[in-house]
Amino acid sequence: MNATKLAKSSAVGTAVLERTFKQKLLTPVLIGVCFLLLTLDFISFRPIKFLKSLVNDVITYSAFIINLPVNFTADTTKSFFELFNFNIHQENKILKDQINKLISEKNELLFFKNENDNLKRTLGIRNQGEYAALLVKVIKEDTSEFGKSFSITKGSLENLELGQAVVRNNVYLGRISELNILSSKVMIVTDAGSRIPVVIPSKGVNAILKGDGYSNAELLFLPPSANLDNNDQIYTSGTDGIIKEGLYVGKVIVKEDKNKKKKYSIELGFKEHQLNYVSVLKLKR
Amino acid sequence: MRNFIKKTIFYIPHLLIILVIANDSLLINTWISPGPIINLKYILLFYFCFYQPDRISVIFLFLLGLVFDSLHSTPKGMTSLCFIVASKLIYFLKKKRTRTNFQNEFISFGIVLASVQILTLIIFYYFSKSSPEYSLLIINTILTLVLYPLFRYVLQCFYRYQI
Repeated sequence: MNATKLAKSSAVGTAVLERTFKQKLLTPVLIGVCFLLLTLDFISFRPIKFLKSLVNDVITYSAFIINLPVNFTADTTKSFFELFNFNIHQENKILKDQINKLISEKNELLFFKNENDNLKRTLGIRNQGEYAALLVKVIKEDTSEFGKSFSITKGSLENLELGQAVVRNNVYLGRISELNILSSKVMIVTDAGSRIPVVIPSKGVNAILKGDGYSNAELLFLPPSANLDNNDQIYTSGTDGIIKEGLYVGKVIVKEDKNKKKKYSIELGFKEHQLNYVSVLKLKR
Repeated sequence: MRNFIKKTIFYIPHLLIILVIANDSLLINTWISPGPIINLKYILLFYFCFYQPDRISVIFLFLLGLVFDSLHSTPKGMTSLCFIVASKLIYFLKKKRTRTNFQNEFISFGIVLASVQILTLIIFYYFSKSSPEYSLLIINTILTLVLYPLFRYVLQCFYRYQI
C-alpha cells in the first residue's frame, strides 16, 4: 500500500503504474468485460436490449458511411464498363418486346385474379390478412461465416416486427431477424439458418426451403412421391402465419445423376448484392 | 509532409482491418466467391500481430470485435474475446519459436486459427440460442489456412519486410 502511495506521489511513479496496468492488467480486464457483455447479451433484459439497439444503430450507420467510398468505386467501375456496351440498341429492342409481352400477361393475370376472387367468394374461402408494403433502403449487405444478412433503414420506430417478410417486386428475399430503433437486420433466404415453408403449386407439394450459406437454397422434407420438373415455380405457403402466402421464391432446376435419380436445385428469383430498395410486408390491423 | 506519410503508413494496418471488418472481406466473399469462404480478418490480424506486435493495441482489438459483433448479430463480446485471445497467442507463439521461418509462421497461424474457431464454437454453445453451420466454419477455416501464403505474399510485397 505504501509503495502504491509512494508511486502515486510522483510523475515517474504514475507512469510506472500506468505501464504496469497496461502490461499486466489490461488484458484480463478486457477479457472480463467480454464475458460480462456475453452474459448480459444472453440474459437480454429491457434496458440492455434498448442500449444494444442504440449501439447497433450507431455502428450500422457508421459502417454505411465507411463503406461509401468502396460502394462509390464499385458503382463507378460498373458504370464505366457499361459505356462499352455496343449492343445497347439491340438490347433496347429486346426489352421493348419483353415489356409488351409482360403487359399482355399482366392483363391476363388480372382476369385470373378476379376469377379466383369470385370463386373464393362463392366457396366462402377468406383471404389471409391484408399486407401493406413499406419501402426501405438497403444500407449494407453482410456476408460472414455466421450468416448472410442485410441492414435496412427502418426499425422498431416504424412499427416493424421480427419475422416480417422482406420482398422486392413480390420476390421473397428474407425476413427481419434483428430489430433496432432506426435500422433492422434481414436474414437472407440463402442464410444457413433460414427456413421457410414453401409450396410448389403446379405439383401440389409442400416443403421447407433452407439456405445453404452461400448463394443458393435447398428443399427439405419433400414427399418421397414428389416428382418435380424443370422450371416448377416455388412460392411461400404462408403456413407459419407470419409470411404472406404466394410470394415468389424461385424455380426448380432438375439434374439427373448417373443412376437417373433426380436432384433438385433452386434458382432464386433475385440476385444478391444488387439490392438497393426493398419492401417490408406489414400485416394491416 | 514526411511525418504525415510516416503516420499514414503507421495507421495502414488499422485502416485495413477496419475496412475488412466493416465490409467483412466483401471483395472475396461476395464479388468473387458465392459465400464466406475466407476469413480475411484473422489473416490480417495474424500478419500484423506477428510482424508488428506494438502497432495493434488490445483496446483497438476489443472495440473492433464489438463492431463486428454488432454488424453480424453474433453474441456481443465474442469477436472481441477471440481477437484478444488470438493476439496474445500470436505473441506467445512468436516468443516460443527461436527461428522465424515460413514453416513456423504457417504452423502458428494454423494453431491460432483453430483455437479461435474452437473458442467461437464454445461461445456459441454457451452464450447463443442459435448455432453456426459447422460445414461452413470448416470450409472457411481450411480455405483461410490454404490461402494464407498468398495474402502473406501480397502484404509482404506491400511492406517489403523479408521476401
